[in-house]
Amino acid sequence: MFTTGSKLLIGSAAAAWIFAAIYGIAQDGALGTLGLVSAAVALSVLAGLNLFVRDSNVSAMDHAGFEAAAAAQATARPSLWPFLVAFGATTLTFGLVTNRTFFALGLIAIVAGALEWLVQGWSERASGEQRYNTDARNVMVDPLELPVAGAIGAAVVVYSFSRVMLGLPTSTATVAAFSVLAVLVLAVAALVSAQRGLSRMTMTGVFSIVVLALIAGGTVAGLKGEREIHEHHTTGDLAEENECGPAETEADENASQTVASKSNVAVVITYEEGELHADVPGFDGEFQALTLVRSNPSNVLFRNESEDHARLVIDLHPATDDNGQPLGPERACTALVEAGGTQLLTVEIDRPSFAVEQGFAFTVAGSTAELQVVVP
Amino acid sequence: MNRLVKQHQKVSIDLMPTEPTTSRSTRSRLCNAAIGLGAATVLASCASDAPQDTWAPEGKYAQDIHNLQWPIFMIAGIVGLIVFGVITFVVVKFRDRGQPIPEQGHGNALIEYVFIAIPALLLAGIAVPTVAGVISLNDTDDADCVVNVTGQQWWWEYDYPVEADGTICGAQPTGEAAPIITSGQMVIPVDAKVVIRGTSRDVIHSFWVPKLNGKRDMVPGRVHTWNFQAEQPGIYAGQCAEFCGLSHANMRMEIVALDKGDFQAWIDNQLEPYQSPEAGTLAAKGEETFISQCSRCHQVDGLTDADGELVVSAPEQFVWSGAAPNLTNLMTRNTFAGASWDLLTEDAREAVWEASADEFGALYLEGVTKGTLNEIDLKEWLRDAPSKKPMYTDPENLEDTDGKTRGMPYLALSEDQIDELVAYLIERK
Repeated sequence: MFTTGSKLLIGSAAAAWIFAAIYGIAQDGALGTLGLVSAAVALSVLAGLNLFVRDSNVSAMDHAGFEAAAAAQATARPSLWPFLVAFGATTLTFGLVTNRTFFALGLIAIVAGALEWLVQGWSERASGEQRYNTDARNVMVDPLELPVAGAIGAAVVVYSFSRVMLGLPTSTATVAAFSVLAVLVLAVAALVSAQRGLSRMTMTGVFSIVVLALIAGGTVAGLKGEREIHEHHTTGDLAEENECGPAETEADENASQTVASKSNVAVVITYEEGELHADVPGFDGEFQALTLVRSNPSNVLFRNESEDHARLVIDLHPATDDNGQPLGPERACTALVEAGGTQLLTVEIDRPSFAVEQGFAFTVAGSTAELQVVVP
Repeated sequence: MNRLVKQHQKVSIDLMPTEPTTSRSTRSRLCNAAIGLGAATVLASCASDAPQDTWAPEGKYAQDIHNLQWPIFMIAGIVGLIVFGVITFVVVKFRDRGQPIPEQGHGNALIEYVFIAIPALLLAGIAVPTVAGVISLNDTDDADCVVNVTGQQWWWEYDYPVEADGTICGAQPTGEAAPIITSGQMVIPVDAKVVIRGTSRDVIHSFWVPKLNGKRDMVPGRVHTWNFQAEQPGIYAGQCAEFCGLSHANMRMEIVALDKGDFQAWIDNQLEPYQSPEAGTLAAKGEETFISQCSRCHQVDGLTDADGELVVSAPEQFVWSGAAPNLTNLMTRNTFAGASWDLLTEDAREAVWEASADEFGALYLEGVTKGTLNEIDLKEWLRDAPSKKPMYTDPENLEDTDGKTRGMPYLALSEDQIDELVAYLIERK
């Protein structure tokens, strides 16, 4: 009778010999072949030794001891874990030549399958009583297996749900998530609570169907792909495309008018009666020109106290490369701020004022308002 | 009860002879070490050369903190002594001598009320002046001077904006006013309320000059204000107080307080136009070397190249923080490399630091001369800066920063180039 340990060693030795032969013939690599043959020889010796000593148990001549030896106990029950290990090995090999995700999944499958297989083999030799062996296995594995299985299950459900939501049009997704699905959950919960005599099998069946439906939906949605997601224009896009003018753009439509009003800022710039004024927090006097620190993002709060919409703009005059291409953004601007509104603008100027002939200044698009900026 | 007492005695008796002698000698050694450490700590407070002593305020705000911390320390000390005294008394008086365990009692409303009321009253008494002090320390109204302070790994930059009336930090420049930018030493007028508006270009730093005020964090993307007011002319040492990377310990700062006349002279000197070295001199060669080797990161205002074009540094392309010290008037400062090394020789430095209030200004304004230049440290710095001050400059480890260094890299300058640069830099004042 072969024990689990013997089977493992015999299988490993056989695999090593096969791999050595395949590698030696296909790759023509002396060093690799030598290594694999060495491994195969070592594994064969270990397997032979193990068989000879009957897994370090007792002498075959000692009948009483032989009968009581673990190797003489009930045969290990059929197991699916070797299948998982084999699947993992295939995936790992596939991953070696395709991409590392498959490699990682294969490795995880091999480690998980091997661990489970080892624990099962160990537990089934704990005693001659199968129930006791099952309990022993559960005590060992449940603290690890249950949280991991729970996390994987939750991840599969969440991921499937997210695929479904991303596949549906925005309005349908919202309706599905917050009304239909919510009503379904409520209805099922009400049904379950009303029917106190529901059997465990019925409950398991219902939830399994729901989960399977969700996974199937997620798979279909995932294969179909996400809905087309409209990319919104930002003020950064405006600046890049030189659209910092007085006209309203798409980026201005939903721009916040108040969200930044409590931010910690380097300066508050107010537009009032056609003029720009700077208020520097921490100093109650006035400066000849607003000073901004070089090569450092400065947060500027723009308050539009005029009666019209206004957009704050600054040309950054970045340095250029050998081909005359700017090495940074050429300008920065806020969205179009409504009367009484405020917006934050983050500005970084990388060159000192003396290096820029026209200097730096904040302006308001469509007006003559200007606020000089000095960068030391 | 008797049985319990007997058992207790038995246990005590059994334990005593089995205690190993080695344990006693270990305990003795530990005790000696603790006494030695305690004594060293106490003796350290007697150091006379302690420029960052938090218990020796020399400015209004540091004095305000001192006035608050001293009585609180006294109260806390007295409470601590009482608590430790009572504990020691109880431990000694009622130590285990095998006596019967006395009757145990629980709950005494009066004692509990008293023991709650006393700490509550103490804390309330401490809270009132503390909150008032915090508000007062943060009051930036009626400032005489504003300085923008920017921290980066591992040095401080100071820039002085021009106010609406043309003054800089309360002084009216003799010539045309323009913002002044400097590093290492922040120069302020004596008896003036100076507000700093601080931020950071990379990680969080903390500005701390103990003799003038407490510490204030400098956070990227935020502007924090803090006040300073020095009573006497002199140099006040400080240290970055927020761990900020490899050379945090080498990120120092000094505030230099000058009386009004001297401060005016300092402002005027900073605004002097750039003077090229005399043609054919070592310094002129140094100017060329500076342009080819240093000006990528370091700005010298007014410096022009051979074509007469202004030389504009571009530290944002080479340095992670995006900045390097402006060296326009390097030799008007007494320190370099984040105020970690002196530009003055030891004797000259001592003379400046120990000068009387009347003599200090004139001595400081002399700056660094050929006779007082600390050539050894400056040349070592130019020869291989990363070996003098730990910095992230190894090209193989700069993948995360897109090849940009944090600090000054090794430039492989020849000895001739170093001599030329020193000759050039000594004229930057």
